[in-house]
Amino acid sequence: MKKRYSAVFAILLILLTVAPVFGQAAKKQLTFLFMPGVQDPFYTTMEKGVRAKCKELGVNLIVAEYPKAWGPEYQVPILQAYAQRGGFDGLLIAPTSVDALKAPLKAIYDKGVEIITVDTFLGDGDYSKPNTDYNFPLSYIGSDNYLGGKMIAEHLAKLVGEKGKVFCEATNPDASSVAARVKGFRDGIAQFPNMKLVGVEWCLDVQQKAQEQTLAALQKDKDIVGIFGTNVFSAQGANQAVVNAGLVGAIKIASWDATITNIENLKKGVIDLVLAQKPGEMGSLGVEWLYKYLTQKVQVPKKVIPGFEFFTKDNVNDPNMQQYIYQ
Amino acid sequence: MQTETAEKQGTLPELLGRNWIALFIVLLVVFFSVVARSFFSFDTAQLIFFNGTEVFLLAIAELFVIITGGIDLSVGFVMGFATVVSSKLMVACVALGFSPFWSILAASVVTLLIGLVPGLVNGWLVACLRVPAFIATFSMLGVTHGISELLTQGIPTKNLPALAGDIGNGSFFYVAPGGAISFFSRPQVARGQTVLAIIPNMVIFAFLFIFLFAFILGKMKFGRHLYAIGGNIDAAIRSGINVKRDLIKAYVISSLFASLAGLSYVMKYITGKPDAGANMLLEAIAAVVIGGASMAGGSGTVGRTILGALVIAILETGLRIIGMQTFMTYILVGVILILAVIIDQVFPNRNR
Repeated sequence: MKKRYSAVFAILLILLTVAPVFGQAAKKQLTFLFMPGVQDPFYTTMEKGVRAKCKELGVNLIVAEYPKAWGPEYQVPILQAYAQRGGFDGLLIAPTSVDALKAPLKAIYDKGVEIITVDTFLGDGDYSKPNTDYNFPLSYIGSDNYLGGKMIAEHLAKLVGEKGKVFCEATNPDASSVAARVKGFRDGIAQFPNMKLVGVEWCLDVQQKAQEQTLAALQKDKDIVGIFGTNVFSAQGANQAVVNAGLVGAIKIASWDATITNIENLKKGVIDLVLAQKPGEMGSLGVEWLYKYLTQKVQVPKKVIPGFEFFTKDNVNDPNMQQYIYQ
Repeated sequence: MQTETAEKQGTLPELLGRNWIALFIVLLVVFFSVVARSFFSFDTAQLIFFNGTEVFLLAIAELFVIITGGIDLSVGFVMGFATVVSSKLMVACVALGFSPFWSILAASVVTLLIGLVPGLVNGWLVACLRVPAFIATFSMLGVTHGISELLTQGIPTKNLPALAGDIGNGSFFYVAPGGAISFFSRPQVARGQTVLAIIPNMVIFAFLFIFLFAFILGKMKFGRHLYAIGGNIDAAIRSGINVKRDLIKAYVISSLFASLAGLSYVMKYITGKPDAGANMLLEAIAAVVIGGASMAGGSGTVGRTILGALVIAILETGLRIIGMQTFMTYILVGVILILAVIIDQVFPNRNR
């Protein structure tokens, strides 16, 4: 019996030593890993930007599995498995928590991988500060969410005649991007003396929850004139609540993110304003800066901010604007 | 006596049949190692255990109840409840001026105590009021979920002491390139040099409890009582076992392990939220069944349950490392579940 076991063991050992011979790569070429935040149109659009730039620069690309839901408990195990697999020189990641991703990313950085965070960041997003435990990424490339929230507030104020109650349907306060949008929106609305933000709800990226929360807010304050949905799911849920309550037209809705659904709703008149981020550009810039740093040691700016585009009923069919729709 | 020794020795197929799960794990490891060389490493093994900590703990939680012939559907949300309570307490203690270390310790102890309550209620409902376990624990799922949501108001806990993350993501000891060993804190070395980290703290934390309760289940009278209750409750009552008390204990242990999983989550991800363990319930039950326990009760061991959980954890990490979609995991776990039940019917004589 013992002999049989040792024979099996010997075969295993042989297999393990022979196996690696097949997997050897021939020449050194840069490889990047793209680690998205969650499965949604925003990140699939970003992936397209990443893919196109990698192709242009001749960089190999590994796209990590898309997390099923937003949160470090979904993203970290995926990231760590890909880190264990190794074989990449640069990492583009949208961290799903400002705290929880510090340790896993530091471990990857310590192995010699360069990191750029896209869309969301670690800590407070300022990687130029010395003596922090999150200043190791090369750069943060993402929207100025605070500014975006403020601009949304200003556009929405114009649409409703600068007076009345407004409501905000947000997603996850643990995500740096969303918290800043809400703060910007709050400060933006505060500029108008006759306007009041009556509530902020958090749907944690669940559209059904966003719909329920918006409906509850509409029942509490029947004279709400404007709503701001801070991302794809919250905006779509808020839209649905307004449609179900039969208030289309009476309430102006501003949406973050130019998803196909949001754009179609805009065409139908269900919503009135859509802010488009530039996820494709974020991805593309991320690849470009990683490449420049790794090949030419170029100094990378610690923060890169692509701008916004605003869709309204008037320009939604403009051929020049079509590139900003997420698809 | 004679038959027993004969069965213990058995022929090779019988031996393999009874230990198929260990063999299956070996096959999985060989397969993944052949496809992706980087899979076969000490770091991957640690990663699998580290990522699986919560599922291991929840599987043990489920095992104690399944042995008695019951089921505990509340473990996922009791875990979420524990993440919320402990993280809030940590933040509160730090705000009151306690040091991070004492805040974390105090919050953890209090959470484990509070975490016994859902189990007490579950056990009382099942043992004394004869509410079916499915219904009793399903209600508890809703209650703990609701309380957690009320506590957080939809906002995951923030601003936990940084020490929590250091403990949760740290290891027992580190070996620097020169061979110097340091305990609990990662030595500063030049970038690109490898520091060997040995055994994540959370894995040690989990397995301390797992070993303790493996001993209780396997070696103590209380453990034998649980198998007796699950095997034939009427016989257990007739033989003088205090069935009500032991049933309540089983549900309390289940709740305790769910809370431990919650603590592990908080330390790793430095936040607490109601649905932290929501998607782990089915994995925990699957682990127990793959480990050879019968849903009818009376069988199952801690060791085999951990092997069952390990199968799922290896699949998940392995499929990612070889670059396959982990949706495959769902399919494979489903297939393995069915195989587990069939193989156990063909080779019935499990230790318990």
